[in-house]
Amino acid sequence: MDDPFAILGLPRSADLGRADVDRAYFAALEAAHPDKVAGGDEAARRRAELAAARINEAYRALRTPVGRLETLCRLGGIDLDSSDPKRGAPMPDTAFLTEMIERREAIEAARRAGAGALEDLRDAVEDEADEAVAQARRALAGGDVAAAARALVRRRYLARLLDEIEEAMS
Amino acid sequence: MAYSEKVIDHYENPRNVGSLDKKDPKVGTGIVGAPACGDVMKLQIKVEDGVIVDAKFKTYGCGSAIASSSLVTEWVKGMAVDEATKIQNKQIAEELSLPPVKIHCSVLAEDAIKAAIEDYQRKQQAEASAAEEATGS
Ligand code: FES
Repeated sequence: MDDPFAILGLPRSADLGRADVDRAYFAALEAAHPDKVAGGDEAARRRAELAAARINEAYRALRTPVGRLETLCRLGGIDLDSSDPKRGAPMPDTAFLTEMIERREAIEAARRAGAGALEDLRDAVEDEADEAVAQARRALAGGDVAAAARALVRRRYLARLLDEIEEAMS
Repeated sequence: MAYSEKVIDHYENPRNVGSLDKKDPKVGTGIVGAPACGDVMKLQIKVEDGVIVDAKFKTYGCGSAIASSSLVTEWVKGMAVDEATKIQNKQIAEELSLPPVKIHCSVLAEDAIKAAIEDYQRKQQAEASAAEEATGS
């Protein structure tokens, strides 16, 4: 499995910022540039193209804070895009899922209540999503991949809820 | 992505949207979610004499998930509980002609009906043992 951190020459860390990633990305692209590596022959040119494609893919994975945390989980053995019971995204508990349903129902009520009710709901959910990201970062700093994955799954549910609130606002 | 006609039909006219009283001992509630996409589904059944007499759902998710849950509620009404436990996502996916990337949406519906049945059975067992205690046996 590819390690996007290694491809960009970055340490596997949750504390990188966007600027670190951008800098590493452009440096990697430049180092792999066909003008530099290719001795003019076809095979070298194709290799350079392949390298550039991998660098772009690594950059896409690491560009956002959530992307970096999810990638760290994947490298730690939990792939949030998979539903495999052991190595995939952990299922949140029923209480949390119930809350997700109830808060969907609250969107309707907030829409009827008008006067900023939807905005309040959105702000609350945004805060919770941010808190989930912070929790994941703390968990990873402590080496607890499973706890980080649980927090990141919660963030995904909250992000979907946020989409629906924003849809109701528009 | 092109949805099949049946998906669109269920999506535009979902059957059995709503809730049943989750405290009713005859009602089983299943709440499940798909972690990868963040979609959630609630499916409830009401059972009398071993037969599912009513079913309702609320799904906050993609069209395929809504259609899958709508279809399952239609199927299970009038079905014996034992029979309903046998429903598989494959049947749902086939009926709705879901493409491979949407299979997990039908899995969600299978999980939901299974969870609802389990919840109902748990309640029945709790009632039975409470009754036993009451009679002092
Ligand atoms: S995409 Fe999430 S359930 Fe279909």
